Amino acid sequence: MALSTYLAKRFLQSILIVFAILLINFIIINSAPGDPARFMGGEVALSSPQYVQAIRERWGLDKPVYERFFIYIYNLLHGDLGYSYRYLQPVSTLILERLPTTLLLTITSTILAFLIGTFLGLKAVQKVGSKRDVFLTTLMFVFWSIPAFWLGIILIMIFGVQLKWFPISGLVSVREIKTGIWYYLDILYHSVLPITTLTLITIPVYYKLTRDTALQQLTEDYVTTFRAVGLDESRLFRRHVFRNAILPPITIFGLQLGYAIAGAALIETVFGWPGMGRLLLDSIYTRDYPVIMGIYLIISISVVLSNLIVDLVYMLLDPRIRVSR
Amino acid sequence: MRKHVYVLTILSILIILSIASPAVTLVRADNKEALKPISCPYVGGTLVVIHWGDPKSFNPDSQVDDALAGIAGNIFNRLVALDADYNVIPDLAESWEVAPNGSVFIFHLRKDVKWHDGVPFTAKDVKYTFEAIKKYKGIAYSLLKMDKLVSIETPDNYTVIFRYSEPFPPFLGFLAWYGTYILPEHIYNKTEYKDWMDPNIPALTHPIGTGPFKFVEYVKGSHVILEANPDYFKGKPCIDRVVFKIVPDATAALQTFLAGEGDVLNHRPPLSEIPRINSTPGVIVKMRPVPSRWYIGFNLLKYPFNETKFRFAIAHAINRSEIVEKAEYGYGYPAEGMYTPAIKWAFNPNVKLPEYDPQKAAQLLDELGFKLGSDGWRHYPNGTKLTVRFTIFTGAEEEAIAQVIKEELKKVGIDVKIEEYEIATWEQKVVKDRDFDIALVDGFQGPDPDNMRMRFGPGQYINFANYSNPEFGKLLEEASKEPNMEKRKELYWKAQEIMAKDLPYLPLVDLVAFYIYRTEWHNFPWELPGVVPYNSYERVYWEKGTPVTTTTTQTTTTKTTTTTTTKTTSAPTAGGTTTVTATTTTTLVTTTTITSTVATTDWTMPSILFVVGLIIGVLVGYAVKKRK
Repeated sequence: MALSTYLAKRFLQSILIVFAILLINFIIINSAPGDPARFMGGEVALSSPQYVQAIRERWGLDKPVYERFFIYIYNLLHGDLGYSYRYLQPVSTLILERLPTTLLLTITSTILAFLIGTFLGLKAVQKVGSKRDVFLTTLMFVFWSIPAFWLGIILIMIFGVQLKWFPISGLVSVREIKTGIWYYLDILYHSVLPITTLTLITIPVYYKLTRDTALQQLTEDYVTTFRAVGLDESRLFRRHVFRNAILPPITIFGLQLGYAIAGAALIETVFGWPGMGRLLLDSIYTRDYPVIMGIYLIISISVVLSNLIVDLVYMLLDPRIRVSR
Repeated sequence: MRKHVYVLTILSILIILSIASPAVTLVRADNKEALKPISCPYVGGTLVVIHWGDPKSFNPDSQVDDALAGIAGNIFNRLVALDADYNVIPDLAESWEVAPNGSVFIFHLRKDVKWHDGVPFTAKDVKYTFEAIKKYKGIAYSLLKMDKLVSIETPDNYTVIFRYSEPFPPFLGFLAWYGTYILPEHIYNKTEYKDWMDPNIPALTHPIGTGPFKFVEYVKGSHVILEANPDYFKGKPCIDRVVFKIVPDATAALQTFLAGEGDVLNHRPPLSEIPRINSTPGVIVKMRPVPSRWYIGFNLLKYPFNETKFRFAIAHAINRSEIVEKAEYGYGYPAEGMYTPAIKWAFNPNVKLPEYDPQKAAQLLDELGFKLGSDGWRHYPNGTKLTVRFTIFTGAEEEAIAQVIKEELKKVGIDVKIEEYEIATWEQKVVKDRDFDIALVDGFQGPDPDNMRMRFGPGQYINFANYSNPEFGKLLEEASKEPNMEKRKELYWKAQEIMAKDLPYLPLVDLVAFYIYRTEWHNFPWELPGVVPYNSYERVYWEKGTPVTTTTTQTTTTKTTTTTTTKTTSAPTAGGTTTVTATTTTTLVTTTTITSTVATTDWTMPSILFVVGLIIGVLVGYAVKKRK
């Protein structure tokens, strides 16, 4: 089977998967308890049935679920993600607004965690059981088990409150909004603590994976052979062990990039960062159906796509993997 | 020991307030304080408010938006406003009249008001706003009884007459409360818009108001910036800017505030943190009782909760002081009576709630046949164990209250199972499906006692206990139409007596609101009851700003406004009118212009970035070198 046929098949599959996800999401979201109209009505809705009815009619929530689903799909096919109940703005606008800020956090921290994690993993495995290995493994275990929001608060306490090196929360310093290049530098400055937190809790994934894979590689016959031949240990590591040990972390890296678009709800909440995770969380709390659906759609597309890309990259990296017939 | 000090402080505040705050009266147009122009001892400064949530859109009347409520008062004005004591004060209307039967309301508008885009404000805007509320079913639709509103007339540009088909005494209170900000007709009322929430209306994202501050920008999830309106009708505010910094997480918000990144904390902090916040240098915590209370409701559709005796047994078993002490850290008051004491005139002090008396509770339960078993729990006469489901919504205070009640009921042998849901599910279970035994809720009881009818009246949606005593319902119905204040009060007092006998709901705790801010800022609404609407920063000044007398280049304009509202037009519908005249004679407006200082660039942030970059560079260089 030619590569193009394979790709076409995978694409078709992906589209079906995304559609299935859409359908399931729609059903789950609509069957969750809590009526969005009542939610939009807040305390007033409790005493004003007319107000609630007006909201319901306005947003078409008085129609049956299946009809709403078809309307949603119809609009989607016309490139319309719908309007947010809460913000009265197109869902696409809301998502696009949050995309850069959220990707700044997630992509940066994923890349950093990937680099640092694999590096440390390889370092640790060079001398298995050494002090360095034990120290690193313990440290990673600690970071792995720390809840993200707690680590965030601790970093805030140390670097924000005590040392006053970094701002505690927010996107920019609001007392004096900077202009031009300083505005973006200010955003970068504010992103240091959230990125650090995210990176620290993601590093252990790559560390563990790299260390374990490399450890396994070291027991392989080819390593023994190379060692017997008298190949330089560092060369052995760089040219052979590293190449083999890097594959699983790359897979995870690719998949994590797929999720990057979803943001990091907890971290964003702790640091008051206007990202996708917070948008999703707020939308769930307020039953803002169109926004929830929109974000889930984007995430599912992104994850499905990144899966596809990872598979392709894998194919290129490792010639042993052949397209299955 | 410390706790006692706080309790004493709160008590003294309560006492002072109860003496100082006048009762809510129907007509209060002679309040000249609120008409006074702004005077500034200091000018300049940016007030940073740590705000808890994202506003939705900037149409403040269309949808319920608690996050916008804290901001909107600075951008918009109402006809009449509420002050921090929940009294009605003049805002865009400088005086008003009410027909004796309480069905016709005449407002006289200020003539010196301009929208932020320079267009003069007139009665046309008022008419549009309330017609839009009626047409598009705005937030205030039911509160303002729009279905009973016959007409809104504007005999001239500065007079508005509301005619109702029946007496509606709570009108002014609700007019000052929720979803009643006046909107710019010239922006909203265009034929190409399908309604007032049409996404093409520019004011939904960039509001135009009449208020003390103009809208500058809103970055969702980050901040809202407002700047002083030099043409504000009470004079330019003292501070240059108000910035609402949005931090949703309570802990992060508190840290941000304490680190000096904010001047006001618009968050209800964890109660255990209050002493620590108060002892932070430069920070003050002020407390005020608010017309909001925690209460529980019994499911009257279910046995044994439909037994009055059973409800009294539970009430006798609950120690409300203990709830305040343990769940509220002493911040609050054990509830007394069936209505909030914060709306003093309507509160009947003779109505008492059942005293804490576990023995009495046990006796009542025995009488009902719920005997103590050998396992220490009470059982139904048929032997099944008595388990009470207690439905609450997620939250630290809710959980704490539920725990205290669980422990207290355990002492009389009742097993309580706490069921915790997020608010939407809570509402579905409790209010819609009536699938509960006892449920906990908190709620605002003002600004008018008509709130009792909306909360507890027969057939009302939020009346989740299903309380339907017809006599009680009739009294509240009558009270909502009674223009005579004395008679109205009597009706409410009687209604409270009946409710206390039935006890479908049991009030637990009267809440206090916390105002947390830095002491270098002054003249907040909570410091100026009677003068400033409760959510407006129009008179706030910063003591580190520029003193007005010395360094400013001062231009003093004297403007004389003579407004004399004379005896009014022919009496509408019913008999004569009660005329309340506000005579503002001379108003001195002092405008101050300050030479702007050149903003110095803050180098801290770039230099830190530079240092960090340097360190990373050195590390990378070192690593590369070592490799070779």
